[in-house]
Amino acid sequence: MTETADRLENGDRIELKFPARGDLIVLARLVTSAISARAGFDIEELEDLRLAVGELCLLTLQGSDAQQGDLRLELSVLGDAIGVDCTLERAGMATAPAPDGDEVARLSEQILDALVDAHGREVHDGSVHAWLRKHRGGHAE
Amino acid sequence: MDQDFHIEEQAGSSPPVITVSGEIDVATAPQLRECLHGVIAQGEATVVLDLLGVTFLDSTALGVLVGALKRCRELGGELHVVVADPRIVKIFEITGLTSVFTIADSLESAGAA
Repeated sequence: MTETADRLENGDRIELKFPARGDLIVLARLVTSAISARAGFDIEELEDLRLAVGELCLLTLQGSDAQQGDLRLELSVLGDAIGVDCTLERAGMATAPAPDGDEVARLSEQILDALVDAHGREVHDGSVHAWLRKHRGGHAE
Repeated sequence: MDQDFHIEEQAGSSPPVITVSGEIDVATAPQLRECLHGVIAQGEATVVLDLLGVTFLDSTALGVLVGALKRCRELGGELHVVVADPRIVKIFEITGLTSVFTIADSLESAGAA
């Protein structure tokens, strides 16, 4: 495989779906590293994205009883940017708050604010969706 | 999935030193919480947390550290965090926690020699 063949181009999209368990979020981080490298992000940006996607998954899971749910991650190459959309499917609301839950959510928001160009979180019909966008070379939208 | 994570309390040190290596995330942070709370529950108001071998740290780990810091301060003590990897230091910086924790770049400067 040539270096050119390893590259991802504008419009390429990768999906990952796994049981919404905290110990599996490492899979989202691993895939993000691989995709970011192939989309031309440098090592520092790649590390930022790896951390940011982990936080995105945590924000998606926040307040949910994800024992029965799935986490679907969609990574898209958008020109010189990468977009990551994370959706929690088929999960109900948690019956008990997670330890340090509010503090962790606040920290997640701070980390995302610092590392990506834009991010958000929405709830529609019981499905939680969080997303982020990050440009190469620190170019803001 | 957490085969890289390791945590141990160094025997006989004062203040107690807890050494962590590998990745601290939502899967491994509960082990860190249990260890820290266990040491503090023994009456240790000041604890040194050696994160020199940590390769990744997320908001759940930071949440555990903030909770442990509160417990230490309730007892009149402090949680000293030892961290040198610029990627890990950066996470403390962007969350504003460098002004909350006592952060050192070596065990010696954390008073744990």
